[in-house]
Amino acid sequence: MLNHVASRLALSVPVLFGVLLFGFLLLQLVPADPAAIIAGPTASPELIAEIRKDLGLDRPIFVQFALYMSRVLQGDLGVSLISNTRVTEDLGEAIGPTVELMFACLVWAIPVGIALGTIAAVNRGRFLDRLVIAISVAGVSTPVFFIGLILMQYVGYQWELLPFIGRGGPLWSLSGLASIALPALTLGLIFIGPIARMTRTAALEVMNADHVRTARAKGLGERTVILKHVLRNALIPVVTLIGLQAGYLLGGAVVTETIYSWPGVGRLAVGAILASDFPLAQGAILVLALAFLTINLIVDMLYAALDPRVQKHG
Amino acid sequence: MADATLPAAPARRRRIASPMLRRILRDRLALAAAILLGLICIAAILAPWLAPFDPYNTTRRPFVPPRWSEGSLPQYWLGTDGQGRDMLSRLLYGTRLTLVMGLASVIVGGGIGALFGLLSAYYRRIDPYVMRFADILLSFPAILLGLALAAVVGPGLTAIVIALSIATIPDVARITRSAAIVVMGQDYMEAGRAVGLSDRTLIWRYLALNCLSSVFVFLTLRFGQIILIGAALSFLGLGVRPPEAELGMMASLGRDALFFAPHIAMLPSLMIVMIVLCANVLGDALRDLLDPRLRNT
Repeated sequence: MLNHVASRLALSVPVLFGVLLFGFLLLQLVPADPAAIIAGPTASPELIAEIRKDLGLDRPIFVQFALYMSRVLQGDLGVSLISNTRVTEDLGEAIGPTVELMFACLVWAIPVGIALGTIAAVNRGRFLDRLVIAISVAGVSTPVFFIGLILMQYVGYQWELLPFIGRGGPLWSLSGLASIALPALTLGLIFIGPIARMTRTAALEVMNADHVRTARAKGLGERTVILKHVLRNALIPVVTLIGLQAGYLLGGAVVTETIYSWPGVGRLAVGAILASDFPLAQGAILVLALAFLTINLIVDMLYAALDPRVQKHG
Repeated sequence: MADATLPAAPARRRRIASPMLRRILRDRLALAAAILLGLICIAAILAPWLAPFDPYNTTRRPFVPPRWSEGSLPQYWLGTDGQGRDMLSRLLYGTRLTLVMGLASVIVGGGIGALFGLLSAYYRRIDPYVMRFADILLSFPAILLGLALAAVVGPGLTAIVIALSIATIPDVARITRSAAIVVMGQDYMEAGRAVGLSDRTLIWRYLALNCLSSVFVFLTLRFGQIILIGAALSFLGLGVRPPEAELGMMASLGRDALFFAPHIAMLPSLMIVMIVLCANVLGDALRDLLDPRLRNT
């Protein structure tokens, strides 16, 4: 298992490097000379030159990149061009809501998706199966903003059931819970389709396996067979595939946050890009990439924990 | 040179073509999807002739609802948007741009990916490097690529198409590679090499043609997803700039008027659903027919 996780970690190094290179390039786009800004409007050219030297701006570009990397590793992502606050502060406030949203989405979408997929597999070829397939095809064909807009218009505006703008507070408070309901529902709805589909395929495969026939032959009830023998084995590929969908989840979260004015990293990133706030955009994209890598790593570990075969082969 | 003396490589496409057509015709759902998608494409191509109004022409009649609701105007079938522009005309032009965005990405990304896959299968020496590279690209979600490119290049169609193309490369490279490896084991490849065909001929005339159906099926399946990601990026404001019409961007313009003129956001969204649904249904059917191996991808 350690081997397996280590090889995945090794793979994320070039990705992280790429993201950092990218963030560095983005900062080169800042129109003004940072030294001139720090020195102020009345500063002499000598003073500006000195500050440039202090910041390493007179060094070759790859040295500047190395300096940038060391700054990022120390947690310094620069200052927002627009609000003039530290990028790390803005991001620190936004990470919580994003994690909250993803958690609130997965906590209902994964069980519902797995349940739907299992129901479909058990009723293979019958009406329920077709219904689940239809739901999941419709789910993967609908843009997340469409679902968001519909829920917002009906559940939020016309029926006045739930709030649909912003975050009402932390997850454990009543207003926080109410405010996250629609965003989490929106994001989850695009996610149950793929999960149901994967579970169905995986469950069908396991249902034909020898050990399931044995379980039936020794007289176990259908419920036990499905829950203990089929589902448990079917979950292994499902976990991997959920991991592969992490990008999908991230993309959905960015759009969902924007629709519901949810104060997360995705909305921050989009706002920063549209406002040409390069330091903030750089930081937000870095955090999103890190989130993606982390999700993948967690999934890899889960996978290794679920499937004993991985431990042997690494 | 030696071509004439050799039996042509069995083109899998041709052998399957007619039964495939027959089976697609029998699959009513796939047939309906194909027809609907075809109609949408034709409408998009013919947009300049079909559109009753100039899609960019603003009027003093904003927020006119579609014909089936109260307060509509007879000349505006689908109503007007917040700037009094005809929705039907904008929808036609918007569909056009959305389809161009998707097709351009599929063709560029699919082409580069397929090339990588073919070379990787043919020259086994470069295989590990190409596959590691694909792994790295794969660990970069399309939406992030889109955000990042929009930040550097500035929002626009170019940024989106580049991002979507890059996101298509790794998966296509893998699919092509695995299909090409199977083809590499065939006798006619050996025979072609034995009579001294050049690498170039072997790759293009033998390997590529025989991998075509797998790549095609995969790209059909991918097309819908690409449109969805592209529309999402446009919706976020990172795509086409106004006044140009694109479905995702149109939906985001309609967001501000959602509660009193929902058709401005809903119509373009429904169009996206239709396109993607058709592409997915068609892709699934093609996959089941041509390449059941892809079922789990």
